[in-house]
Amino acid sequence: MLNEKAGKFRGVAMAMHKLERLLNLIAALRNTSQPLSARELRQRIAGAYSDDDLAFRRMFERDKADLRAIGVPIEMTTLYRFDPPVDGYSISDADYAGRDLRFDPDELAVLHLATNLVRVEGAGEGLARLGGGVGTVEAVGELPFDEALSKLVAAAIRHRSVTFAYRDKQLLVEPWRLSFHRGYWYLIGWDAQNGSEHLYRVDRITGEVADAGAATRPAGSGVDPSSLKPWEFGDSEPVEVRLLVDADQAAWACHRAGVHGERRPDGSVVLKLAVRDSAALRAFVLEFLEHAELLEPQWLRDEFVAWLEALADSGTL
Amino acid sequence: MTAANTASPATARLTVTERMARLLGAIPWIVEQGGASLDELAARFDYPVEQLLQDLTQRVFFVGVHPFTPDTLIEVEITDGVVDIRYADWFSQPMQLSSEEATRLLAAGRTVLEMTQDGSNLGSHSDAAEPLVRALTKLSLSLGSDNTDSSGNADSGNVATIVDKIDVCLGHASRDTLNDLRSALSKQRAVTIDYYSQTRNVMTRRTVDPAQLFSSEGAWYLYGWCRHVDAERVFRVDRIRDLEVLDEAAKADIAPSRTPTTVSLDDVDRSVTLRLSPEVAWAADYYPVRQQAVDDDGSVEAEFAVASESWLARLLLQLGPHAELIDSQGNIDTDLRASAAAQVLSRYSQ
Repeated sequence: MLNEKAGKFRGVAMAMHKLERLLNLIAALRNTSQPLSARELRQRIAGAYSDDDLAFRRMFERDKADLRAIGVPIEMTTLYRFDPPVDGYSISDADYAGRDLRFDPDELAVLHLATNLVRVEGAGEGLARLGGGVGTVEAVGELPFDEALSKLVAAAIRHRSVTFAYRDKQLLVEPWRLSFHRGYWYLIGWDAQNGSEHLYRVDRITGEVADAGAATRPAGSGVDPSSLKPWEFGDSEPVEVRLLVDADQAAWACHRAGVHGERRPDGSVVLKLAVRDSAALRAFVLEFLEHAELLEPQWLRDEFVAWLEALADSGTL
Repeated sequence: MTAANTASPATARLTVTERMARLLGAIPWIVEQGGASLDELAARFDYPVEQLLQDLTQRVFFVGVHPFTPDTLIEVEITDGVVDIRYADWFSQPMQLSSEEATRLLAAGRTVLEMTQDGSNLGSHSDAAEPLVRALTKLSLSLGSDNTDSSGNADSGNVATIVDKIDVCLGHASRDTLNDLRSALSKQRAVTIDYYSQTRNVMTRRTVDPAQLFSSEGAWYLYGWCRHVDAERVFRVDRIRDLEVLDEAAKADIAPSRTPTTVSLDDVDRSVTLRLSPEVAWAADYYPVRQQAVDDDGSVEAEFAVASESWLARLLLQLGPHAELIDSQGNIDTDLRASAAAQVLSRYSQ
């Protein structure tokens, strides 16, 4: 029997273990009707912190950072009841448990399974807080994930618009959908400045994704990246390209390009491709080495020839 | 980018923050269940049992609020291995997921939902779809979804919303092929495949004992024992043109592999070392490399295993001026790039 309350008092001189200190800090921040200053917290959690101001401050900052890192929503405000004003801290019930997100056991089990099967970059202990799960299965895949992506998903779900920097331009976008395809995340959404639908590579977004108010238009479905070939990605106007592939590679080329093409009597095939990314097209054409020929447009054919001529003239590799 | 690895539950000693995160889930769980056994808690929260016992009796036991009189402290009672917690007012509700955690769960769940739909065979997990849809709906609602369908039914509206808002394709491969492979894996049967070998530009037919099916960088791979070469091999599933699941039992003792690129290198004795400028540094991750080093300017020096000259010619032409030859081993034509470029150009000068 461990519950002997009389035995629970401890000497103040005994250093409090960090785990106990952090739990007490959460309890103190939740058990208050108004935000508390750091000093008030030190008084309320007797024995937790050093009497030395500098050592206390360092430890308190580290504790705050550790709690925030595991998702504890510590809010900071300025306390004008002090002169001069100081920072005040609190955890609101709404932030801590406001969503009241409860999963049934079978729901929790499948989420546990899902996080086992698919390793999401940076995934923390979130599920453990909701009740954890038993057993592990072998992962089948990994997903890159970061804060920008999280904000875009949330914005698409909440029907909000966002701003972000993309290729050195500041954009205002209404996100419709996030799609992971061929190893990259894509954002499909409405470019509010240009008034058109667009596809963005999420890893090319620089800087912060910031909320910019409610979206103005109903979300569209947009293009489906999974139906796109590598040379179809991009935000420029598509160019129609005609590509000739020799007979013995014709079937494979049609399969790769997802088109039927126009068969010639000798068994070769002419593919018509809509190209937005000429570098990706060049890589595709080069897979066939001398068994394919880029026919049209002439300017793209010239670029292709120039690329090869530079390599042919460069001598040793 | 690398994804998180899970620590092995039995051996890893947890850090204070890892234990905090677990306790913030375990305490409300115990309260809600009205008590739980130490063993169950250890398994469910991936918490070594001695550490859990110590943390409950020596740490949580002393937690409370000002003025820390007995009536303000959490009560922890452990009888016959069953933990009971009372008066844990500030910890009795689970802390909610942050928006970032919720979106990560959504992404993982959405991926698996995709795998369960349209009859995809997930083996023993085939009945996961229905509770998964419920769980994803709750997650989406908790993120503040404002969508309801025309009938005002928030739930079904939100299922559509999730499917709409995020989708994940772990690889571009025929669903039939994937299903056949999953079924062969779960029944431990060998398969015969018609496989397009890009390095040699030929179709081959081979019998494979499958060991693992996994996705990497947006493509599905089959790992297994290739009877054709009597060695472990990795196959890209989208290059499998035809597949037959045999009645024959598959060889079982195949060493597991995690990466698609490190397997078939040992029996290749030719290699080139290339310096890749940053815009083509991806090639070092995409193709089999023995070793690589990243420079301060973002360029990468990597030793590529060369399975065939046509493969190398294709790679060099694609990389173009962004790759520079540093070294080569084995019998490799150092003039290969120029001669391959000239050969392709011959088509354009007629």
